Amino acid sequence: MPEQIRKILGKHGRSPDELIPILQDVQAAFGYLGEESVKAISRYLRISENQIYGVSSFYAQFRFTEPGRHGIKVCLGTACHVRGGGTLLDMLERGLDVHCGETTEDKRYDLDRVACLGCCALSPVVQIDRDIYSRMTVNKLTELLKNYE
Amino acid sequence: MTKEKKVSITIDNRKVEAKAKTTILQAARENDIDIPSLCALEHLPSYGACRLCVVEVDGIRGFPTSCTTPVEDGMVIRTDTAEVRTLRQEVLKLLLSEHPASCLFCEEQTDCKNFQGTIRKVGVTTGCRYCPNDEMCELQEVTKKVGLTETSYPVYYRNFPVEKEDPFYDRDYNLCLLCGRCVRVCNDIRLNGTLSFKQRGKLTTVGPAFARTHLEAGCEFCGACVAVCPTGALSAKASKWSGKPDEVVESTCPYCPVGCSLDIKVKAGEVVDVSADYDSPTEHGLICVKGRFAIPEYVLSPDRLARPTILKPEGYDFLPWEEALDEAAAKLKAAGPKNTFVVVSPQLSNEDLFVAQRFAREVIGTEAIFSSVIFDLGSDLRSFVDLAVMSEQIDTIEETKGILTIGLDTTYGFTPLGIAVKKAAKKGAILVTVSEDECNLDMLSEEAFQSDAAKWPEFMDGIMKSMSGNGTRKSKAAASLFKKGERNVVIIGPDAIFSGKRKEIFERVLAMRDNLGWKVTVCHPYTNLMGMLAMGALPGLKPGGLKSDGVLKLKDPVGVIDLKQGRKVGYFIGEAPSPEMPKCEYLIYENALPAPSGFDPNLILPAGLFTESPGTTISSEGKILTFNRASAPFAESKPDWWIISGIAARMKKGALKYNSLAAIQSEIKKSIPGFSGKERRVPRKKVVMEGKAAAAGNPLGLGRDAAPPAAFRGVPLHDHVAGMKAIEERRHK
Repeated sequence: MPEQIRKILGKHGRSPDELIPILQDVQAAFGYLGEESVKAISRYLRISENQIYGVSSFYAQFRFTEPGRHGIKVCLGTACHVRGGGTLLDMLERGLDVHCGETTEDKRYDLDRVACLGCCALSPVVQIDRDIYSRMTVNKLTELLKNYE
Repeated sequence: MTKEKKVSITIDNRKVEAKAKTTILQAARENDIDIPSLCALEHLPSYGACRLCVVEVDGIRGFPTSCTTPVEDGMVIRTDTAEVRTLRQEVLKLLLSEHPASCLFCEEQTDCKNFQGTIRKVGVTTGCRYCPNDEMCELQEVTKKVGLTETSYPVYYRNFPVEKEDPFYDRDYNLCLLCGRCVRVCNDIRLNGTLSFKQRGKLTTVGPAFARTHLEAGCEFCGACVAVCPTGALSAKASKWSGKPDEVVESTCPYCPVGCSLDIKVKAGEVVDVSADYDSPTEHGLICVKGRFAIPEYVLSPDRLARPTILKPEGYDFLPWEEALDEAAAKLKAAGPKNTFVVVSPQLSNEDLFVAQRFAREVIGTEAIFSSVIFDLGSDLRSFVDLAVMSEQIDTIEETKGILTIGLDTTYGFTPLGIAVKKAAKKGAILVTVSEDECNLDMLSEEAFQSDAAKWPEFMDGIMKSMSGNGTRKSKAAASLFKKGERNVVIIGPDAIFSGKRKEIFERVLAMRDNLGWKVTVCHPYTNLMGMLAMGALPGLKPGGLKSDGVLKLKDPVGVIDLKQGRKVGYFIGEAPSPEMPKCEYLIYENALPAPSGFDPNLILPAGLFTESPGTTISSEGKILTFNRASAPFAESKPDWWIISGIAARMKKGALKYNSLAAIQSEIKKSIPGFSGKERRVPRKKVVMEGKAAAAGNPLGLGRDAAPPAAFRGVPLHDHVAGMKAIEERRHK
């Protein structure tokens, strides 16, 4: 892993302006910003780890924990909300024992909410990885999850 | 000198002059025009977060914040129009929508306060007057200034858990206004970078990366953030409920030879808190955790020795001062000069050291004036003193081009120096750090060499060889960074001074200084080392040794006197006995806190501390600094000089008749160079070894494996200051 970080760092200059491009590259390579990566960036740019964390935690695009193997996104836009999106999210939170925005302990799923996926006519909608599932119910979703190991 | 450029502006119909490039806020404040503000603060860069300092300026659209708008010639500014006032009130209302505001607006405020209708001492600030900042709160003041008497918005309580897991200060971000003062002081002034805004929007708090505690994240616990916080969000654990101090006394920190200025806060006759003095010429207010947080708990320790005490066969018993002094005098007299030794602390004041050495020489008649410096350093004392006496000034370190640090970490001590090093590195100086583990200067270093101390001399050889043009390839990498003829400085830290290789390290630093022209700074814990040299409080060194002409002639203490021979009576003045010191049958212990376990003094004489007994000390830069009296003596304790003179008078008629500090000081003025002049500075001179060096292979003080914990008068701070325990554990991890 350090080798890979060194490679990414090598592509950038040492000015503090490079911070966000570096963070984006690291996130693209590893899927998240780990403590080791942040430390390496800190030494390279001569900015403290705390300051780097401050900058990166401001943006929704960066995460600090290893992502799960599959990403579940429950739509809570107006239409999906009205048609029971919230119940789906509740069920997932309880069933997977995880809070929205977190990753299950076995790293199998990330659970998130989104505001609208643009197919309100098919609400309620759940996205798993790149697939969109429409007119979801608690039972259908339970069955569906079995397909994602 | 070029004249400072001035511009003329009009504020509130008043024509005033202002320095060019200042902000409207600064110009207004200099002319005694008050603009309310919460985020702007002298010494900190402008930020424009609170929006309270809005003003009207002709020709500028809207309402610019005065703290971020620079003055221009001919500017017409209005700070107090009806429109500005309404705007400020609205801004403040919005700020208060996330800050519990009942201390500002409640109708029953006065009654509540007078009749204590509510419990005030609770940890969580939930609304009423439970705030540690009550009556010292800038937000309260600003609310008054802005004239806000009620708010129309409900208060959104953010419900962040109060953070109490770190030593020294608590954090309640429910009270935070996000003014960013703490973040700026931590990053821009202290160059430490522990604090940063985390998350955004209503979830924003201040703190370090990930879920780390401040201790883990490298916080120096300098308390600068607590000092600048305009609310009760940050508060010092030990002093948060002590309220507004009655009095502030200027004094000096006694814990190391940097000699930082301190403002000691006193409430009801007790030292409750300490703050930095940003106008101090030496350290510019950049004090460390010891000065900021470790003083009140030390001087007010429940273990303070209160009354003279004697060990009898049946146990300890109190006795009056008269009898205690008689007893000490009788024991010292009976043992005679050959069977007695005196141990003085390098952290005593000049006056106490002067009286102590006179007492040993003239009353007892011995040169056995020992101290921890001797037992720590043995035969290496000469080269140590040689390097330490000419220590570079902190301000000049900032301007150097190359810096080599050896065994130095400035997280919990020597912070003004560490910050100067960081400033230099940020300006482009080459910084190479040599340490056993990661150190706080590594982040800005060009190269961080981490290894066992045993390899440090070799590394330094490499640097010297390559600087003189014939290094090996491996050492060249680090050394080629330093340029000959440039202003280079080598800084030796405690880990080098207390390592088994210190003899070799000192030799190499001396060679770098004498052959390659490097400047040298030594970071050591002996506060008044310069005072010991000036007062002659070392075996074989007479008072006035630091003369303006000639050189300091220092004998090897190992050669002058037998340092291991046990004696009948040992008289410890402000120092604690340790296993390295010679044994004695009768131990007289004069100090403020108990001796370490395993040593049972036969006679205990309670001494006053620097907050109680005034005196002077000499910093490593040679400045004579003053300890001022901040509180009355603790219980029956007495100043060291008073106790010593009392014993002297009983041993020898008419000896050391000092009845006041002034009497000692006038004698010092007469006999010690530097004390009579206006400059208040002692001459610093090259050290020359007098007489033969003791036989080689003297292992004194080398039994340790690391630098000793921070201590005062021989007593570790962490025995009496709760937070220092966590710091010591962290240091050894």
